[in-house]
Amino acid sequence: MAKYILKRVFYMFITLFLIATATFFLMKTLPGSPISSASKLNPTQLAAVEAKYGLDQPIPVQYGKYMANLAQGDLGNSYQFKGASVTDLILKRLGPSFLLGAQGLILGISIGILLGMIAALRQNTIWDYGSTFIAILGISIPSFVFASFLQYWIAVKWGVLPVALWNDGWKSSILPSIALAMGPLATGARFIRTEMIEVLSSDYITLAKSKGATGFEVAFKHAFRNALIPLVTVMGPLAAGLLTGSLVIEKIFAIPGIGEQFVKAIMVSDFSIIMGTTLFFSVFLVFVILLVDILYGIIDPRIRLSGGNS
Amino acid sequence: MKKSKFFWLLSLMLVLSVFLAACGEDKNGTEPATPGDTDKDEPTAGEVKDEEQVLNLIMSAEIPSMDSALATDAVGFDLLNNVNEGLYRLNQENVAVPAIAEGEPTVSEDGLVYTFKIRDAKWSNGDAVTAGDFEFAWKRAMNPDTASEYGPYMMGGVIKNATAISEGKAKYTELGVKAVDEKTLEVTLEKPVPYFLSLMSFGTYLPQNEAFVTEKGKDYATNSDNLISNGPFTLADWDGTGLKWKLVKNDQYWDAETVKLTEINYDVVKEVPTAVNLYKTGEKDRVGLSGEYAMQYANDPDLVKELETTVFYFKFNQERNGKPTPLANVNIREAISKGYNKQDLVDVVLANGSVPANYLVPAAFTFDESGADFRDVNGDMAVPNADEAKAAWEKGLKELGVKEITLEILGGDSDVAKKMDEYFKSQLETTLPGLTIELKEVPFAVRLDLDSAQDYDIQSAGWGPDFQDPYTFMNLWLTDGGNNKMSYSNPKYDELVNASVGKLAMDPEARWEAMAEAEKILLEEDYAIAPNYQRGTMQLQKPYVKGVISHPFGGDYSYKWAFIEGKDAQ
Amino acid sequence: MTQNLEKLPADSFKRITIDSSQAEKISKPSLSFWQDAWLRIRKNKAAIVSMVILLLILIMALIGPYIGPHDAETQTITHSNLPPKVPGFEKLGILDGIGTLGGTEVDLYEMKKVDTYYWFGTDGLGRDMFARLWEGTQISLFIAFVAAAIDVLIGVLYGGISGYYGGRVDDIMQRIVEILYGIPNLVVVILMSLVMKPGITAIIIAITLTGWIGMSRIVRGQVLKYKNQEFVLAARTLGASNNRIIGKHLLPNILGVIIINTMFTIPGAIFFEAFLSFIGLGLQAPAASLGTLINDGYQLMQFQPHILLFPALVLSMLMIAFNLLGDGLRDALDPKMKD
Repeated sequence: MAKYILKRVFYMFITLFLIATATFFLMKTLPGSPISSASKLNPTQLAAVEAKYGLDQPIPVQYGKYMANLAQGDLGNSYQFKGASVTDLILKRLGPSFLLGAQGLILGISIGILLGMIAALRQNTIWDYGSTFIAILGISIPSFVFASFLQYWIAVKWGVLPVALWNDGWKSSILPSIALAMGPLATGARFIRTEMIEVLSSDYITLAKSKGATGFEVAFKHAFRNALIPLVTVMGPLAAGLLTGSLVIEKIFAIPGIGEQFVKAIMVSDFSIIMGTTLFFSVFLVFVILLVDILYGIIDPRIRLSGGNS
Repeated sequence: MKKSKFFWLLSLMLVLSVFLAACGEDKNGTEPATPGDTDKDEPTAGEVKDEEQVLNLIMSAEIPSMDSALATDAVGFDLLNNVNEGLYRLNQENVAVPAIAEGEPTVSEDGLVYTFKIRDAKWSNGDAVTAGDFEFAWKRAMNPDTASEYGPYMMGGVIKNATAISEGKAKYTELGVKAVDEKTLEVTLEKPVPYFLSLMSFGTYLPQNEAFVTEKGKDYATNSDNLISNGPFTLADWDGTGLKWKLVKNDQYWDAETVKLTEINYDVVKEVPTAVNLYKTGEKDRVGLSGEYAMQYANDPDLVKELETTVFYFKFNQERNGKPTPLANVNIREAISKGYNKQDLVDVVLANGSVPANYLVPAAFTFDESGADFRDVNGDMAVPNADEAKAAWEKGLKELGVKEITLEILGGDSDVAKKMDEYFKSQLETTLPGLTIELKEVPFAVRLDLDSAQDYDIQSAGWGPDFQDPYTFMNLWLTDGGNNKMSYSNPKYDELVNASVGKLAMDPEARWEAMAEAEKILLEEDYAIAPNYQRGTMQLQKPYVKGVISHPFGGDYSYKWAFIEGKDAQ
Repeated sequence: MTQNLEKLPADSFKRITIDSSQAEKISKPSLSFWQDAWLRIRKNKAAIVSMVILLLILIMALIGPYIGPHDAETQTITHSNLPPKVPGFEKLGILDGIGTLGGTEVDLYEMKKVDTYYWFGTDGLGRDMFARLWEGTQISLFIAFVAAAIDVLIGVLYGGISGYYGGRVDDIMQRIVEILYGIPNLVVVILMSLVMKPGITAIIIAITLTGWIGMSRIVRGQVLKYKNQEFVLAARTLGASNNRIIGKHLLPNILGVIIINTMFTIPGAIFFEAFLSFIGLGLQAPAASLGTLINDGYQLMQFQPHILLFPALVLSMLMIAFNLLGDGLRDALDPKMKD
C-alpha cells in the first residue's frame, strides 16, 4: 500500500511538472500583453516596465526562475493587481469556492442517491421515470441558465434569499450551492440507479430475501451499501465538473472565488494568475483522483491495490 | 404498503440530515471569512442625522491599484478621485477649479513656470499636505523603479525633462517640479501647455505622503490599511484584490463639511442581469444598463442618461505586414466611412443613449472662453450616404484594378462588441458590392497587441480623453504617433496639430481653428478613420440619490457633493 | 416412490429415436449483433422516442435554415427583438407577437409595422430566430459529432494497442495516460482556445485534446478482458492473424461499449461548447451555435424569453435524448444485462 501511494505521488509530481512547463510556454506564445497601457508608451518606456516584471529576460531564464519560485510555493506576482502575490490571491479566494463546492457536492450527491434509489426500487414505474427525468434535467440545462432562473425566481420574485454577492454569510451560499449541485445530482442519481438494479438482481439479495429479510433491510443493509461503493469512482470526474461549474456560478452570483478570478484573468491576459490558477486546479484534481483511488482500495476489499504491475 | 411509507420517510430523513449536517458545518466555516458583517451597521447607528447617508454601488471590475503612480484604469482613477485630491478638482460644472492649490497659480510670462500655493489640508493620518508631497509623488511616478505606465505617458512632453527621463537621458530627480517651501510648489513645463491646469485634476498628478509611502515600502497601497488619503473619503475594508470595499467620510478633509455621505459600499458585479436584479431588490442604488436592458427601461422614471466623452471609430490600416492594404486607397476608405447607417447603430444595436458621431472630438467636452462647444466649429463630417459610398467604392475598385475585396474587422469580444461587428458586416456587405468582411473578436489585451503589431485591416477602437482639450484626440494620428499604428501620415495634419501646442499654444482662438482644420483633413479629406459613435450610458438610479457628479475625463464620478434624500419616505 | 412409478401405465411413455442431425439445429432464427440490439432496444420506449426526437432535430438542423420565410443572416434592423408569431396560432392567444416593452404588454408587430411572420421571433439585430436556431443546431451537432468521432478514433486505437499488446507497451502507454488524466480538461480547453485562432476548429481540437482519454481507458479494459478468453485463444490456436482476431473477435465484442460511450461523449461536447460561449471563448460572430444563442438569450430572460427559450429547448432535448438513448443502448448492448 505504502509503495503504491509513493509511486502514485511520484507520478503526481511528474504530471504537475509537465502542466507547469506546458502552461508556462503556452502563456509565452499567447497574444496580448499583460501591461495594460502598452500602446500608450514609447518603446523605451515599455522596455522599462517590462524589465520591472522580468519580461525582458530570455524565456529559458524566465522559465528557470518561475520553476525555482514554484518549488517554494511562490506563484509570482499578478499583472492586473499591481504587486499582489498570486499565492496570496488564491488563498484568499479559496474559502468561498471551497464552501460552494463542498455544499454543492454534498447536496447534489445526497439528493442524487435518493432519486437513484427510488428509481431502482420502483423500476419502470412512474417513480422511476420521474426521478430519471429530474436527474437528466440536471445535465440538460446549462448551469448559467439554471442559475439565472434561481436568481430571478427565488431571490428577486420571492425575495427569500440574497440575489448575489457574498455579504450575508451562509445565506449567500445557498443559491449558488443549489446551482452547483445539479451536476453531481444527475451523476449520482444515474449511477446509483444502475448499480442498485444490478445489485438487486444479484444472488445474495435473492438469498437475503428468501431468508425472510424485509424490503427495507434488503434495500438498505444489502443493496444500498454495495451500490454506494462504486460511487466513489466518479468522484474524480465530479470534482472536475465542480471546477467547471464554479467558473460560471461564481461569475453569475458575483462570488469572490477562484473560478471568478480565473475568468477575469483570461480576459485581461494576467498570465501569472492564469498559470497559478491552472496549477492550483491541477493539484486539486490530481489530489482528488489519488484520494479516490486510495479510498476505493480501503472500502472495497475486493479491489487490491497493486504496485501497478497488472 | 406500510414498509414502503417507512422507507420513504427514512430516506427523506437521511437526505435531510446529511444536508443539515453539511449546513451546520459550513455555517461555522464562513464566519471568519466575513469579519465586516457584524460591525456593518455601527457607523451609522450612532449618527444623529435625519437620514442614513449611505450609498450602495456596483463596480464592473476590481481595483487593480490604488497607487496613483500605478493606476491605469477607470476603476482606479474613479476611486483615487474620491479618496484623494490634487492641486485642482473638477467641480459640479466639470470645470477644473483649485482644490489643494489655494487660488490660481502665478504663471511666468513665457507660460513655462507655474507657482502654486498649497492650502491648509491634512492627510487622513493627521499629517499636513505639503508641496513636497506633490514633488515626491510626481518624481516617484517618473522613477524607473516604480515602473509607472501613466507617469511617463501623462508627464512626457508636459513637465520639464519628463520625456528625457523616460528615455533614460536624465535622472528622475531632474523632473521639473520643486517644493520651494512647505506651501509653495513650482512646476516647470517643457513647453507652454494650454490645458495644463485641467491635467492637475488627473489621478497621476495626485500627491503622496512621502513619510507614509517610504514607511510602507512595497506594501504601499496594496490594501486599505496601507493607504492614506487627503480627499473627501477614505478607503476601507479593501484587501487589495477583493470584490468589495467601501469609502468612509474623511473627517480630516479640508472641505469635510461639504461631504454629506458617511459611507459608500461597493461590490463588484460583472454580469448585467445580476446587477439589475440587485438594483430591483433595493440592495444597490445604481446600475448601468446595456443593450436590451436599456431598451426595456427606456421609460423608467429611474433612468439617467449621460453622454460620455469617449468616441468610437474605425481605424483603417494602410499597411499590413509591410504591404499596402486596399485601405491605402482613399476612395475605398471613403466608401467604408459612408457605407453604414450610424443612426440604426446607436438606436437599435447599442440602444444605450449613444449618439452617432460624424466627428472625432466629442460633443459637450471642450468649450472656448465664450462657452461655445468645439463641435460648433466643424459640425458633421463624412456623413453616411449610401450613394456616395457606392460611387467612391466603384472608383476605388477601378483604381485598384480588382472586383472583390476581403477585409477583416478587428473588434472586442464583449457581447455588445460582437453584435456591433455583425451589424457592420451586414451593412457594409449590403452597401458595397464585392466586399467581404471577416470578423475577428478578441479580448482587449489581444487587440492592443494586434494594434501595436499593426496586424489588422479595420479596427473598431475607441478613445477617452485624458485631459480637457481637443489635443488629447488630435495627437493620436500624428505621423509615427504611439497610437497611429495604421501608417497614416499627412504632413499638413502634423503641422496643424503640432502648431496647436507649439507656436499657437498661447493663442486659444488660432489653435482651435488649427485643430478644427486638422480634424477636417483627417475625416473629410483623408478618411483616415471613420468615427462611429460617441458613447452614452444609461443607468437606473434610485430617486433618493442626489448630487452625484459625472465627469468627462479622469475619474468617472465624484461623490463629494452626493447625498441621500427621501429614502425613508419610500 | 419407486413403487408408484412402477404403477404408471406404460402407454404414458413413448419411445423416441435420437436424430443426431437435429442436435445442431438452432430453433430460434439466428440474429446478428445489430438485429439482437434492435430487438432489445425496441422494447425501451424512452430510447425509441429519443431516437425519433434526435432524428427530427437532425433533419431540422439540415433543412430548417431553408424552410422558413427568412434566412439566418439577413438583418432587418427595423424588425429587431420581435416575439414569435405563427400564422394560425395568433387567434389562440399564444405565439401572437405580443411581447413586453418597458413592463407593459404590446403587440410589437403592430407597433413596428411588421406584416410578416417570424415563427420564433427575431434577435436584437432583426435576424430570424427560426433560421438561426437551426443553423446553430447544425453547428453544435457538427462540433459534437466531429469531436466524438476523433475521440473514438484516438481512444480506440490508443486503448486497443495498449490493451492488446500489453507488457512494456501497455506500461509506458498507461503511464502517459495517468499523467494526462491529472490535467483538468477544462483548463486545457480554455488555454487551447486562447492560443488558437478562435473558431470551430479550435473548439473541436480543444475538446478532443483530453476527451479521448476516457474512451481509451474503457477500450483497454475491454480488450484486456476479452483477449485472454477461450474464444480468442481458440482462434489463435487455429492460426488466426492479429488483424483477424482484432477485427473479427475483439471489435464486435467491445463495439457496444464504444457506442454507449460515444452516446455520452456527444452531449458532453455540445454542453462544453455552450459553456465556452458563456465565458466568452466560443465561436466568432456571426456564426451561431446553440451555446452562443443561449448565451445571448440568457441575459434577456426577463424581457425576451423567446431568444433563450427555443435554443435552450433544443439543447435540452438533445441532451435528454442522447442520454436516454445512451441508457437504452447500454441496456440493449451490454451483455451483462442480457435476459
